[in-house]
Amino acid sequence: MIDFAIYSVTVIAIWSVLALSLNLQFGMTGLVNFGQILPFAIGSYAAGIGASLGYPWWVGATAALIFAPLFSLAVILPAQRLSQDYWALITLGAAEIFRLTMLNTPSFAGGADGLNVPRFGDSLTALYVSLGLLAVSFFFAERVSRSPFGRMLRVLREDEVLASTLGRNPIRYQASISAAAWIMAAAAGVAYGHFSGYVAPTSFTVTETFIIWTAVILGGPGRNIGVVCGAIIIQLLGVSSRFVAQWVDLPSDLIANLRLASFGLILVVMFIYRPQGLIPEAREVHDAERD
Amino acid sequence: MLNVTDVSLSFGGLKALDTVSVAAAPGAVTGLIGPNGSGKSTLLNVIGGVYLPDLGKVTLNGQALPLGRPDRVAKRGVGRTFQVPKLAHRLTVFQNMLAGERDHCGESLPNLFFRPGRVARQEKEASGRASTILNRLGMYHKANDLAGSLSGGQQKLLTMGMLLMADPAVLLLDEPAAGVNPVLIEQQVAFLKTLRDEGRIVILIEHNMDMIANVCDRVYVLDAGSVIASGTPHEIRANETVIRSYLGQPANTQEV
Repeated sequence: MIDFAIYSVTVIAIWSVLALSLNLQFGMTGLVNFGQILPFAIGSYAAGIGASLGYPWWVGATAALIFAPLFSLAVILPAQRLSQDYWALITLGAAEIFRLTMLNTPSFAGGADGLNVPRFGDSLTALYVSLGLLAVSFFFAERVSRSPFGRMLRVLREDEVLASTLGRNPIRYQASISAAAWIMAAAAGVAYGHFSGYVAPTSFTVTETFIIWTAVILGGPGRNIGVVCGAIIIQLLGVSSRFVAQWVDLPSDLIANLRLASFGLILVVMFIYRPQGLIPEAREVHDAERD
Repeated sequence: MLNVTDVSLSFGGLKALDTVSVAAAPGAVTGLIGPNGSGKSTLLNVIGGVYLPDLGKVTLNGQALPLGRPDRVAKRGVGRTFQVPKLAHRLTVFQNMLAGERDHCGESLPNLFFRPGRVARQEKEASGRASTILNRLGMYHKANDLAGSLSGGQQKLLTMGMLLMADPAVLLLDEPAAGVNPVLIEQQVAFLKTLRDEGRIVILIEHNMDMIANVCDRVYVLDAGSVIASGTPHEIRANETVIRSYLGQPANTQEV
């Protein structure tokens, strides 16, 4: 049981980092990234490929933290003249292209069989690394959220033309927050690779992106603590489905699909009844006493 | 001195601006009037860098403005408001004001983490200025309200306040009085006069002729993308062409 708790908390921590990363892009800046799993996949594959080439773990990790922001710029800069809808399409396409490339290069990335990644020494190490990563990510996201930079991200979310008439070049803000958010997600990917001991294309499908989105929409777009709560709830639903499988006499593949359907239901209910999420974005209150 | 020289701009087959030239002096309010669709807002969008004209140029104190790049034009000290106020609706009035701060060092990720002291200092200094401007606009009591919850008139005042945070040399105002109640209009007129007296260049689009007569030093009349007349508000009111195309005859003098 304690092993299962450690496993669950590790999974939750990793997915919370992904939710924080998407929150920086979508919740604060309004960038609709339908390929949020891409930086995560880059991180995991960097760990896997690094290990398969015989390098120590930090080589793969460093490569992940370098390649993820470069990929983010490669995806964003061509999209800068397009509207938000195209942004969603381009990120969705980029994530699928990456996954299919990994699937179809067996000699390099293991193809459909995937790659083995050296596991963390023991499950507690995995737990501490993941929680540490979550703490750093949360601190970063909070600092950004409460800063003048975060304020301008929100202005961009509300109205790009307004930001440019205030003398700001939107793409500079969008590119730097995306690069930072992708580094965060790639780090989570590295941790995930070493935690699961295995990377394969099936771990990085559109479904995974959709699960991160569900966490953000449920928790409260724009609110860091909210999206972490969203990730906790979604992942608890995820890990609890195996208990449900023991209690009810249904085939396990059906239960896995019902789990996804329940995420879809959560999205629909949130959009209709509580679009601001469980813990809505806080209003930054100015204290007159400080003047 | 802001000079618009022979600016032309077409949208497909529609000639929105046809060799328009306008000069606006510092310490004066320059009015743009004309029927709807005559090209007033388009001209303001050209000056503000939103549209790149097909021909012509705009200079500020002899230097060409980087047209087509609103962010760079704004950095040169040109601020503008829109006919429909543009605000970050889900941020508070005070946060909107702070977004108007120019060159905020806290808008760089490295500074946030490596120079937090400097960021905090500029934020404090900007907060002080935002409070002063909000007081001047009579809106300080709304500081923590969401911008989206303000009335239309208050939203227009707020956009003006955001402009002032950047202390622009040029103000481009698109119908600041439309849909605003008479008391607020008076307040805005007084405010415009202060801005003018501070030596700024003010360009104003307005349909309210009393406001035009009251604050403008020089008026340009546009019709179908061309300047058809210019002069003092008094001259414009007497101009036959302007009366025909825009102002109309007073009811009691019309020939039967």
